[in-house]
Amino acid sequence: MPPVLEAAWFIALRLIGAFVLGLLLGWPFGSPVAGVAVVLAVALAWHLFNLFRVDWWARHRSLADPPDLGGAWGDVITQIIRLHRRKRFHKQRFIQLLRQIERSTAALPDGVVVLNPEHEIVWFNRMAAQMLGLRRPADMGLRIDNLVRQPALGHYLTAGDYANPVVIRHARNEAVFLSMQLVPYGEGQRMLLVRDVSRQMRLEAMRKDFVANASHELRSPLTVICGYLETLSQDPALDAELAGPIAEMRRQAGRMTTIVRDLLELSRLEMSDEEVRGEPIDVAGLLATLRKDALARPEHPRDVRVETTGDAALVGNPTEIHSAFFNLLDNAVKYTPADGRVVMRWWVDEEGGHFMVSDTGIGIEPEHIPRLTERFYRVDEGRSRSRGGSGLGLAIVKHVLQRHGAELAIASSPGRGSEFVCHFPPRRIVRLTAGAALV
Amino acid sequence: METADLTHHISRRFNEDLERVRNKVLAMGGFVEQQLQKAVNALIEGDSALGESVAMDDFRVNNMEVAIDEECSRILATRAPAAGDLRLIVAVIKTITDLERIGDETEKIGYIASRLATMEPPADKYREIKHLGRLVAEMVHSALDAFARMDADAALQVARQDRAVDEEYESIQRQTITFMLEDPRSIRRALDVMWVVRSLERIGDHAKNIGEYVIYMVHGKDVRHTSLDDVERELRERRAAEGALPAART
Repeated sequence: MPPVLEAAWFIALRLIGAFVLGLLLGWPFGSPVAGVAVVLAVALAWHLFNLFRVDWWARHRSLADPPDLGGAWGDVITQIIRLHRRKRFHKQRFIQLLRQIERSTAALPDGVVVLNPEHEIVWFNRMAAQMLGLRRPADMGLRIDNLVRQPALGHYLTAGDYANPVVIRHARNEAVFLSMQLVPYGEGQRMLLVRDVSRQMRLEAMRKDFVANASHELRSPLTVICGYLETLSQDPALDAELAGPIAEMRRQAGRMTTIVRDLLELSRLEMSDEEVRGEPIDVAGLLATLRKDALARPEHPRDVRVETTGDAALVGNPTEIHSAFFNLLDNAVKYTPADGRVVMRWWVDEEGGHFMVSDTGIGIEPEHIPRLTERFYRVDEGRSRSRGGSGLGLAIVKHVLQRHGAELAIASSPGRGSEFVCHFPPRRIVRLTAGAALV
Repeated sequence: METADLTHHISRRFNEDLERVRNKVLAMGGFVEQQLQKAVNALIEGDSALGESVAMDDFRVNNMEVAIDEECSRILATRAPAAGDLRLIVAVIKTITDLERIGDETEKIGYIASRLATMEPPADKYREIKHLGRLVAEMVHSALDAFARMDADAALQVARQDRAVDEEYESIQRQTITFMLEDPRSIRRALDVMWVVRSLERIGDHAKNIGEYVIYMVHGKDVRHTSLDDVERELRERRAAEGALPAART
């Protein structure tokens, strides 16, 4: 039966019943109308009373025993109780789900901190609390960089470039290194992932130490070998047949010496990631010296020239800059034929200082360019080995530039030549004033 | 309705200003903590370049102090804060002074470290200084944490730790005198060591001061010249009276 019809039937039955009862009661007293009125009034009072009871029960003690009512009111009460039970059931399920999520995030080996756009803490898991010393619930709503105060994190958060993580040292335990990466998601929300990378850092340190120590140890034996080979090659009484092999041995020993020397330089550069402070360097003078050295070589392109504009000085470590520029020039000279040209150019504009070495040499295929600065990377084994060199020159250049906040740009076209440009930021450039001391 | 919205808007801007100042103070604190860590490491590892770089970076601490000072003056002039907010600004101004002094002490340690790097390390390889350095770094860290969390209890703990630092200082002093008596050639190095230890002890005192400013900020009670036990008793009574620590951020 449709609800309206059911309701109408419900009301009709009860009203008719009330009327009949009223008539029966009022008849003996001579006024059936009064009887009906009394019955209706009593019924109304009864229902209003029940209404009040149910309301009071629902409002104040709905978990306790409900009023014992029959009929329609009893039905209402039953429905209310049923709603309550369902609600409680859903709440329990929800709590269980939350607990499961909590357990799984607690089991994560990495720390997770959820931040709002102002970098205030919204939530964090147990690992994050442990790694960063956060407390629940006291630290909710505080800015993460108020509690994790390492300057590196502050810079990272404001810099806005979250492509790579930042590594910080633990504030209380120096042996612990934490890698932190910000992951934006949703609408302005951010997740900070914290990982313990102490072991990786230790391994990295051991590797660097090993390379440095090994190179150091190799130096003395190599010096001895080179010394004796030189003596032998200059010995007039030496067997003519041995002259060739001895010359080859000298070349190879020389190559080993170069490799060891460059490895030592690289490991020294690697020791510190921070930028050098430096002092003003007279670039024009440096380039002139390098040019002279290049022209003094047994094999070099006919045309080696220097073009400098302006008199700005570069602020940096003179030894390192000399090494970097030397290595770039060395490559250009090695791979340019005798009738070719090598140009060194230094200029300053509003984007900073720029040093370019361009040559008309054999060039580099495009697929090799991204890997050029890798250690020992050779474009063509045979060709490079015959021209000597350690394979570490560009790696050294890369590290030196990193320590000066600079970037290396490489352009080349095979068979026509190459251009290597170092871009130094404006803060590394200083205008020369009269009487300023230069290196 | 509109007036209420306006005041809400104004006080939100105001809260942002205060939050920004707090954040700057803690950033300054973080940098100073790093300076301290580097300076002590430079000493222990005999790294003279590190020691020098610490000394040369001290100007940044001074710049931060000046910047935050100006910000506080601006807030005092334009907002005329009252009650808890005023206590915050006052505490900030005092805290940055102590942080700047800590910076100066680490600069000294850095210089001495780069000098000591050229000398032979003593038999115990500066183990005592390493321990003292760690204690003091803990104090500074705890004091700044207490500042970030507005936690007066933690601030009280910092004051306690200062006692341990003072004891350690005495012990190192005795030991150094013994070294000097045993081998007069080590006197130069021993004197430098005493300077470093003195600086560390001073840093501990500054950290304790910051703790006292935190208590002032949270409770409005100036505990600078009160004994530790009196402070504790007073805080306990207060807490009993108030029922719970009031949130200092309104």
